[in-house]
Amino acid sequence: MDLSVFTNFDFGVIWRYLPALLKGLWTNCLLTGLGFLCGGIVLGTILAFANMARLRIIRWPAFLFVEFWRSTPLLVQAVWMHFAFPVLTGFSTTPFQSGLLALIFNVSAYCSEIIRAGIMGVPRGQHEAARALGLSAAVTWWKVIRPQAIRLIVPPLTGTVISIFKATAILSILAINDLMRAAARISSYTIHPVEIYTTAAILALMTGLVITWIGSRAEVHYRRQER
Amino acid sequence: MEFQFSVLANNYPALLRGGLVTLLITAIALGIGLAIGAALCAGRLLRGSALDRLALTYISFFRTTPEMVLIFWSYFCIPLIFHIRVSGMLVGSIVLGLVAAAYFAEIFRAGIEGVPRGQTEAARALGLRGFPQWRFVLLPQALRLMIPPLVNYFTELIKNTTLLAGIGVAELSLEAYLLGGQTYRYVELLSAIAFAYFAVIFPISLWSRLLEAKFRAAT
Repeated sequence: MDLSVFTNFDFGVIWRYLPALLKGLWTNCLLTGLGFLCGGIVLGTILAFANMARLRIIRWPAFLFVEFWRSTPLLVQAVWMHFAFPVLTGFSTTPFQSGLLALIFNVSAYCSEIIRAGIMGVPRGQHEAARALGLSAAVTWWKVIRPQAIRLIVPPLTGTVISIFKATAILSILAINDLMRAAARISSYTIHPVEIYTTAAILALMTGLVITWIGSRAEVHYRRQER
Repeated sequence: MEFQFSVLANNYPALLRGGLVTLLITAIALGIGLAIGAALCAGRLLRGSALDRLALTYISFFRTTPEMVLIFWSYFCIPLIFHIRVSGMLVGSIVLGLVAAAYFAEIFRAGIEGVPRGQTEAARALGLRGFPQWRFVLLPQALRLMIPPLVNYFTELIKNTTLLAGIGVAELSLEAYLLGGQTYRYVELLSAIAFAYFAVIFPISLWSRLLEAKFRAAT
């Protein structure tokens, strides 16, 4: 074992390229945020409702979409989106766009299951009680079911943010200028891979810890409100 | 455009080789993950000890850091630190195994702690202690709780094997991507492997859900 790699650590290199690494990390955070909002919340909710629809013509495509995106690797999805999707549709997408699109679909599939489980987790008696009180379907949904479902959905949904952040690192395969891509380029340019990759790993770990911490705080906050 | 199946037929040896590499990575990572996961779980069960804290640090480190970052770091830094030549496949599989261990440890622990306390007390009242108590009372019940999430993580593990494409390991997805570059038939090749992953992972995922429903009904 050669520890001189660490004792000869060139902090000057780290200092010089830290802004470039941070810019890469920002791309990961941006992808995480967009993936969670567009995929997890918007498309996830739409898919959850489609999956619970009475009409088979709505339910089956939604079911297939969710299962397909859950049962294939994100890396394959991203590469497919970048190289096969443009051939099929004629739209040409930048690496960032194809990566983001794959991420949104992937995240929406996972989150739709969480949202569906939350809505179905509201006890049957609540529906019956609302009907017995003569509430309309719209009022029942908005005033009775929705608030209770949200309480079941928020804790597992915040838990997905860390998974999304980890998944964004996979998108570096498409030459998106994210943290890993920036680290790879800088380390081959400066020939200081140990310094650059170690810094990148520490930055990723710290960001992950912050996301986990915020998530657990949000969960505690929500649990406290419940009482 | 038309879908040319001949591209798949002409290139099946490369795809098959990639599939075998994927299987091998999965097997190595699974073995490492189960062994280290069990050790970590043992540490976690010693509540409040130094081993417990050590295991907890390991688990949160490997569950928080992106797998891709760990794979890149190991592949590029280990040779320089240890002055050894390493194959991407071995390093990548070990990293995936170490990550899997963190998840397996928590699954094992949740299974063991999920067995009601009364079961231990009842076993003791019947005169069962030590190994027989573990083997005939706790383990069968704990396994029921562990197996569905274990099977579910197994599907995650198969999906994670594709990350080794990032360091140039010619597993199924990289083979398909490279063939796509040679033949310009990305649609056929990438769709085919996406479907292959689906065909393997979806039944396993359904099986895990079925097991969960069955075990829940049984208890």
